[in-house]
Amino acid sequence: MTRARRPRPAAEGPPPAKAESRDRLRRVLFLVPYAVRHPGIPVKELARRCGVTEKELLDDLDFLLGVGCPPFAPDDFLDLYVEGDRVFVALHQSFSRPPRFTEGEAAALAAAARALGGEGVERAVQALRESVPRDRRDSFDELAGRIYAGSPPARGSVLGRIQRAIAERRALRLVYYTASRQAEGERVVRPYTLASRLGHWYLWGHDHKRGQAVAFRVDRIRECALTDERFDPPADPDLPSRLFSEPSGEPVRVRLGPGALAWARERPGVRILQEGPRGGVVEVAGVDDAWATRFALSFSGDAEVVAPASARRHFAEAVRRALERY
Amino acid sequence: MQKAQRLLDLAALLLRAPEPVSWREIQEQFREDYGGSEEAAIRKFERDKAELLELGIPVRYLAGDEDLAAGYLVDKDDFYLPDLRLPPEDLALLYLAGSAALAGGAFPYARDLMHAMSKLSFAARAAGASEVAAATAQRLSRGPEEQEARPAVAGWLEQLSHAVAARKRVQLTYAGAERREVTTREVEPYGLYQKGGAWFLVGHCLLRKALRTFHLGRVRSLTVNGAAPRTPDFPSRKDFSLAEHATREPWEYRNHAPLTCKVRLDPPVPPETVASFGPRARVREQDGSTLVELTATNGAALVRHVLSLDRAEILAPRPLRDEARSVLARLARKVSA
Repeated sequence: MTRARRPRPAAEGPPPAKAESRDRLRRVLFLVPYAVRHPGIPVKELARRCGVTEKELLDDLDFLLGVGCPPFAPDDFLDLYVEGDRVFVALHQSFSRPPRFTEGEAAALAAAARALGGEGVERAVQALRESVPRDRRDSFDELAGRIYAGSPPARGSVLGRIQRAIAERRALRLVYYTASRQAEGERVVRPYTLASRLGHWYLWGHDHKRGQAVAFRVDRIRECALTDERFDPPADPDLPSRLFSEPSGEPVRVRLGPGALAWARERPGVRILQEGPRGGVVEVAGVDDAWATRFALSFSGDAEVVAPASARRHFAEAVRRALERY
Repeated sequence: MQKAQRLLDLAALLLRAPEPVSWREIQEQFREDYGGSEEAAIRKFERDKAELLELGIPVRYLAGDEDLAAGYLVDKDDFYLPDLRLPPEDLALLYLAGSAALAGGAFPYARDLMHAMSKLSFAARAAGASEVAAATAQRLSRGPEEQEARPAVAGWLEQLSHAVAARKRVQLTYAGAERREVTTREVEPYGLYQKGGAWFLVGHCLLRKALRTFHLGRVRSLTVNGAAPRTPDFPSRKDFSLAEHATREPWEYRNHAPLTCKVRLDPPVPPETVASFGPRARVREQDGSTLVELTATNGAALVRHVLSLDRAEILAPRPLRDEARSVLARLARKVSA
């Protein structure tokens, strides 16, 4: 057993940078109560929880050994030790729970929540506000008004129900619009989680009909109802690491004028192949022909799909059909 | 003693004390730290108090009365994170939203958000299902490598978060999209918003003397005014609504006098197509089609948007309809050539 207790160590080396030292303080204010609540938690897991490497965590623990309370008698120090690979902290009367949310923490979480939306979002934001120290609630209000993380998908109640189904592990019955078939259909889905990609929210869950887990774009869900079917979500390691399968097929190529190129380069996933005073050609992987057409037409007449042949045909056909409307 | 340690020791002392701790006693316990001249010691203690508050530890001074000596304390009710008492679906919302935001790779106050997510497990009873879902959300929201590599934007966001909170002026070099020239701007940052997966800074640009929006992907360098970090450089703008600014659609940018426009969408109409016209569009059904009426101050942008949609056409006004037709006619000649 390597039980350690030592008097407050003298500062070694140069003091850490200000931001770094603040970050450490915030971390240990969480770490101590967490370790108290989970006696014998493995170093590795505690490090993951705190978002640091194991080495950084051990440094934090070292730092904590020197923390005490005047008059600094042996019993005034934090009772903390690492045994094998496990961390033990005796119940500490001062740091039994972490401090309230700072206004920055609460405002960041509120902004993220508002971008996701749902029935309970303002209730959740209100609860966050109340978990900020009283003196800082005005600052929270101000700060929360200075971050806008995106407009939530249009129909709030759909999201509210999805969130509830995830929390209660209940299957959902959906009416879903499938873009490739341009049709609506009913699905029964076990909702595992929501995920966000490139500004869109997706429900990821097991689709009974297809017998596998797939992604549903939330803004294409027309109706959504909880069923009485309960389920156990798959264990963490069984879940994949990607929302969509690897991009397959030939990437599409779009020729753009100089004005359009300046805008296109900021779009995620766009790779510039050729660039000159008269514009250039970009490539996008993992998208279908319809996506390429929409992308090119969003630049008005300043872009055209050039490859592959099927995408070029799709584009030409869309232009012809649209022109007929006028 | 290192400051970090002093701050924690001080917090531990004040949390454990059954009654307010007098300044004399604090000085006594931290002799090396609050020694020297009285004035310097008090200033140092006040700075420490401010830092503790920033960490979420509010230290109060209590004036004494007959029963109680005057001194400092940490009000325990105002210190310990309370249970949020939220129904499970609201907790799921917080977990999912926070995890997905972190996984996106770039989010303002990302560090704060990380700490908030850690603390959440203390503020929630029975968060089990939500926590598993959140871990998955975090993984699934992470994109393929080429889309993940946005370290520059994440860095700008981190710096700008502090500037926005403290109301400090920033200087940035910025590559404009259309002019394609790089300019150096002084900006009073009002807020940060995300649209279509990209982050924007909005603020008062001292070069253009007007409200301007900056795409963070076009920022080439950035510095925050480091002088007097706790004193704001500009007053708070109560008349400015970030949400309103952020939900402006491109056809609502002010380029010309307002035009009333009509767009027809033929079935099947995906829900997200209707939503793409924004919160101010008036939508109704007519003869099996969906009619969208809206006010545009930048007609060219509306033409671009409608062209990118399937089974959509501009009905009015005439000039915009003509413009859409001429764009399509030009493209049709190009693709058949």
